[in-house]
Formats: sequence, structure tokens, C-alpha cells
Amino acid sequence: MADQTVAGQPIVEPSTAPDDVLRIEHVTKRFGPITALRDISLHLRKGEVLGLLGDNGAGKSTLVKIICGFHRPDSGRMWLKGEPYAPKDVLDARAHGVDTVYQDLALVDQLSASQNLFLRREETLRPTPLVAGRKMRRQARAALDEIGINIPRIDLPVARLSGGQRQAIAVARAIRDQSDVLLLDEPLAAMGAKEGAMILDLIARLKERGDVAIIMIVHNYVQVFQACDRANLIQDGVITFDKPTAESSVDELNEIVVEEYRRARQAATTGNGGASQPSSA
Amino acid sequence: MAVAPEKAPEQAPAERPSGARNVGAVAWDWGKKGLALRESSIIVVIVASLIYFGVSVPGYFTGSNFKNLLPYFCFLAIMAAGQVFVMTLGEIDLSVGALYLITPFIFWKLTTAGIPLLPSVIIALVIAAALGGVNGFFTAYVGIPSFVATLAMLFFLDGLALILSHSEQITTPGTSLTGAQSTFASVFGGGTYSELIWALVIVGALQVALSFTRWGIYTVATGGNKLGAAEAGVKTRRILMRNFMLCAATAGLAGVLEGVRTSSITPDPSGSNQFLLYSIAAVIIGGTLMTGGEGTVVGALLGALFLGILQDGLNLKSVPATYVYLWLGIAVIIAMVLYVLVRRIRMGSGHG
Repeated sequence: MADQTVAGQPIVEPSTAPDDVLRIEHVTKRFGPITALRDISLHLRKGEVLGLLGDNGAGKSTLVKIICGFHRPDSGRMWLKGEPYAPKDVLDARAHGVDTVYQDLALVDQLSASQNLFLRREETLRPTPLVAGRKMRRQARAALDEIGINIPRIDLPVARLSGGQRQAIAVARAIRDQSDVLLLDEPLAAMGAKEGAMILDLIARLKERGDVAIIMIVHNYVQVFQACDRANLIQDGVITFDKPTAESSVDELNEIVVEEYRRARQAATTGNGGASQPSSA
Repeated sequence: MAVAPEKAPEQAPAERPSGARNVGAVAWDWGKKGLALRESSIIVVIVASLIYFGVSVPGYFTGSNFKNLLPYFCFLAIMAAGQVFVMTLGEIDLSVGALYLITPFIFWKLTTAGIPLLPSVIIALVIAAALGGVNGFFTAYVGIPSFVATLAMLFFLDGLALILSHSEQITTPGTSLTGAQSTFASVFGGGTYSELIWALVIVGALQVALSFTRWGIYTVATGGNKLGAAEAGVKTRRILMRNFMLCAATAGLAGVLEGVRTSSITPDPSGSNQFLLYSIAAVIIGGTLMTGGEGTVVGALLGALFLGILQDGLNLKSVPATYVYLWLGIAVIIAMVLYVLVRRIRMGSGHG
């Protein structure tokens, strides 16, 4: 493994711990000619909030989509609560207790908050095929109250709600089946300061409850240190940094990323002649 | 979001009993609720057209004219009801006219093979649904735009209908008035109110399905945000298949009912494709978005009713046949302009 380095950074092997909720080892993923994940290993402890950092195209979203069952890895293995974990699809992952809030939130604008909250999990009034709308609205209200989110009217189409409220509904949807692992794909993107604070509060409350471990993709380093226990940095499809946020700093992270940029630039300038023949043997 | 809150919180003080609101406020509330309905614009249009024809045609509001009106819109409402499920997905089914045309011929072929009437109808509708499944397959799994996939189906079925019928008009099976046959005929379109009952039952059932079942919610979800629905675990392709099958079956049923009602089946693709356009017009005038995510079956019924009122009214006013389409075009545009205006009020902003 020593020869497999990215931009000079050694691949960080995760330390093993018995209370890992999720373990991933040597996962790779290609899309045609593009290698999205070269070799990913990470672990997630119970009740932990793990921040996933990295530039656009580094493979963060691909990794999240593999964990949540939307993509399948080309190779590598995953364990969930000590059991081998290979979700067939999103529903299968959810049945195992892995839930996701996508960057686009996957909300349907035309459906109400409660319909969105229960999408694909509707209860029916047996023996009729009718959906138990009243019950769903009551449960939706309770679920939103529980995470401290106030939505004035849960029967209105969510198109009329604010970005933060929509995010909260997506989070509430993800955690309503007592999931073990919650994946948040850029929950703070395109949020105003106030809405961002609301989401950070929400994550803090989830952490307090302690029953769900969270992996969240974040772009803003300051927010990583506000919200996360540990940070992993993905560079070019490989994890190059894994430290508890208490032992690191924004400066250190900045340093690593800037370093990578410098290295890449240097490689581009010095390797000008080699560009036409990359493998000059 | 410039949407004004529906009710200011201070309007419901605790010391006041809930029934003590004055009449004006109640009327305003009802008015708002009415406008909040997706079908509001078509209701306005229908009332306006009824007033117009009621004033200008003597004896307009009579039972016999109501009976005249039925054949104009009932079968159309049935076709439109299925189309709503496809258009709510943001797709379109152009083959409904062709399905309307071919299904009675399939029914006829089956009866000539010695199969009894009722099983023949059922098998014919199953075949129609299967043809819809082909539409759905090409759209959902092959990835051909539904406009093109169903256009191909339109040509194919029109051709097949001409081949099956040898381009000759036939007498609809089960329409000679004796014994069991007459019972069959009066149930499947021959009776005065038969098509109306079919239309109301189908529209009612499908509206309930669209509004209150998982299928309906997934249909709206797929039409509103296909990727989002898929990420939430909705099997969007299966929904697409199912809705195209439903749409085809309703078009086939409309064809059979009309065949029985008129006692004859004519292999006339241009006539049946006219109904394709009518049914799509009914769906859109009724308040279903062409872009998907919003649909109303009741609205489509009202849209069909409006088109029926227009044709019947123009007929009663002895408008020459050459002018009917011209007026139809103008009326449809007026209805759509009204639709856009009412929708803007509904959405509470100037952007629609």
C-alpha cells in the first residue's frame, strides 16, 4: 500500500475500535473512464459525527451514495454493526438502518411536509389502499417537534417552505426509523447564517440523543469544527487525513489542502515535457 | 416566497368561540378555498359557458338537452382520466386515440373467435393495457421520450386497426337487441346513462387513487421530482409502466363503450385521433400541468364536460359545422387564459 499515495500524502488506515457502527475497507468505484474512489477505508463510531471534507470531484458524494445503497462499490468491503454490509438498493440500506439526506434533499415540491416525511413509508388504512393521512400528519408533527423544528403548516406543499425548513424535513425523514447511521450530503450548502445555525443545532440535538452516528459532507472548515467530532479529508478518491477535530485545527486542514494544490501545480509545471508521454520508461 | 400567510395568528383569539366569525369572513374563506382548488378555473369557465348558452339558447336547461350532452363528454372523460395519470408524471400518451380505435376491433375479433361477450371485453382491455405497457417499457426502461414512443404506437395501432378491419365498418358485437345481448349493450355504453355512470365511477375511483393512495402519491412524486422520488425509494419505472397501462385501458374502454353505444365500429384513424387531442385538451383545461407533478382527474372530467358543452351548445345554436372548430379553438384559448389568471391568484403571487 505504501506506493499508493495521492499528492505525496500517505493513505490513512483507520484505527480499529470495537464500537464501530460502520467500517469500510478498500472500497473503489469507477464510472467508465473516471475513477471516483481509488481506495477508501473509514470507520464510524457509535454516536459520532464524522465530517467528510474534500474538493469538488474528490469523491465525497460517490462515497455517500455507496454507503446509502444508491451505487454499488466495484471492490472493497463494508461492515455495519459488525455484520457484512452490502446494500442492494436504497430501501435495503434503509432497512439496515442507514439513512440519507441528499444535497438536493430529494423532496417533492408538490407534496406536503407530511407526505414527504413518509414518502415510500406510508401507512394505509387496512384493508383499504387509502393512505392514513391524518395519522401521518400527527406523526409528522410529533417527529418535527421532537427535533425542535417548527413548521407552521405541514399540509402545504413543501415548495412554500424555506431552505432550512426543507432541510429539517429531509433530516426528520431520514431519522424517523431510528436509523443507526445518518448520511448528510452538504446539509449546510446554500443556507443563510440563521438557517445554518438551525441545522447545526439540529445536528447537536441528534448527537445528544446519542443513538445515531452521522457522516456529513461539509465544505466550510469552520463548520466542521463546530459540528463534528472527527474529520476525514478525501483527496482524489483516497482519504488522506483522519483526526478528531479536538486534535486538529482549521489551519492544519487548510495547510494540507493548499499543499496539495501547490504540489499539483508544481507537477503540472515541471512535468510539462512528460505530459505527452506520461509513462516514460 | 412572497406568499402571504393564510390567516394572521391574532385573528383567532382564545376568548372567542370558533363559530362567532361573521358571514363576510366565512364567504371570503370559502372563496379562497374555492380558488385554492386546482379545478377552480375550469369551474369558472363551465359556469360562464352554461350562462352564455342558457341565455342564448331557448330551453337549454332541459333533461333532453342534458341527455344530448352526455355522448359528447362521457367517453372523453374516461380517456382523459387515464391520461391524467400519465401527464402527472410529466409524460404524454399520444396513442390513446389509436387504442380507442383498435380495442373495439380486438373485442370484435375475440367474439368472432367464439369467446362470449364479457370475457371478450375483458381480454380486449387487458390487451390494451399490455399495449400501454409497451409504451411504458419504451419510455421507462429504454429511455425513449414518451412523445415519440407513443407516437410510434399511434401509427402502429392505426395501421393494425385498418388491417384487422379490412378498412370496413363492422357492427359492434352484442348490440342486436335480444336477451343477454341487450343487457350487455345497456351496461357497456348502450344505456342512456351507461357511459355517464362509467365515467363517474372511473373518475371517482381514479381521483381517490391519485389523492389518497400510495400509487397516487408516488405518481405525483415521480412527476414532481423523479430523481428525488427514486432516491427516496420510489420505483419510478414501475409507476411509469403502471400509469401507461392504466391510460391505455381507459382509452380502450372508451372505445368499446362508444362502439356499443353507436352499434358500429368504423376504422377511421383521423376521427379517433381527434379524440386524442380532445382528451389532452380536457386534461390541460382541467388543471393538470403538462410539466408533471400536479394533476386532477375531476378537473379532466370537467374539462371534458366543458368541451362537450361547447360542441353541444354550438350545435344547438346551429353554428355551421365549418365554424365549430374555429369557435372551439377560441374557447379553448379563453379557458386557458383564465386558467393562468386563476392560477396566479391561487399561488398568491404575480409569477404564476
